[in-house]
Amino acid sequence: MQKISIIILLAMFASCVQPTYKRIVVLTVDVSKQANIKSVGIRGEGTPLSWSEDYAMKTLVKDSLYQCTLEINTGYLYGECKFTVNGQFELQEADNRRIYFSDQDTTYYRAVFDQPSVQ
Amino acid sequence: MKRIIKPICLPFWWQDALITIPRIACGMMLSLDFGAAKFGVPWSPPEKNLGLFEVAFWFPQDVAAYGGIFALMPVFFAWMGAFSEAVGGLLFAAGFCTRFSSFLIICTMCVAAFIQQWGQGSWNMLPSLGFLWVALYHLILGSGRFGLDYLFSKKINHAKN
Repeated sequence: MQKISIIILLAMFASCVQPTYKRIVVLTVDVSKQANIKSVGIRGEGTPLSWSEDYAMKTLVKDSLYQCTLEINTGYLYGECKFTVNGQFELQEADNRRIYFSDQDTTYYRAVFDQPSVQ
Repeated sequence: MKRIIKPICLPFWWQDALITIPRIACGMMLSLDFGAAKFGVPWSPPEKNLGLFEVAFWFPQDVAAYGGIFALMPVFFAWMGAFSEAVGGLLFAAGFCTRFSSFLIICTMCVAAFIQQWGQGSWNMLPSLGFLWVALYHLILGSGRFGLDYLFSKKINHAKN
């Protein structure tokens, strides 16, 4: 009986997976201080981002403002990322950017390339 | 129960003290850092948004990718692995149910070293192998003199006498 209770208890706990929620994040980055821009992207954790490949950002103003909209399924209250220009990471040797998700439908995040503070 | 708890004490107290250092260091590291990041315990970082005894949403997906039996029961294995680190690590550090927590840690670290990190080079296997070796000798010895198991086994002995 004791063994059965332990198994039931274990099975009950084993079904406890953190629930996930859909988060929409609109990211805008200012790269106007960078030269010879060929591509602007973002890398980070969790689908659709990855740390090994750029997720391309669309041009709002050529050589200045770039934007992308991400739909992320996550259980965390934040996501981590870094922007890239021509495949090169910003904030090298520094912490990743942490984007805390808004309670509203969509989170808006605006940053300047290679500057950790948020606009 | 007494057999599982009763530690084997080394000839001198300082020998027990010496092997207690890696046990506490590994247990605390597992529980406070590796475990708390993927298993819901009161000391998990609040921004991880983990409920009590919840396993992080991404971990079962990672475990399923190992294939075989892990793909059949990814939630169970993920939960057990995360529990071993977060709760097992704390028990291990305190020297409470040391052989039980050692067994959990050994299973988890075998998977981490020989399935997750296999083929990624020795450096990637090193952290999990380090935890594995420490847990392995505590599976044999138990907590030694410096753990709660030692106190409890003494109490059980006194109660019997």
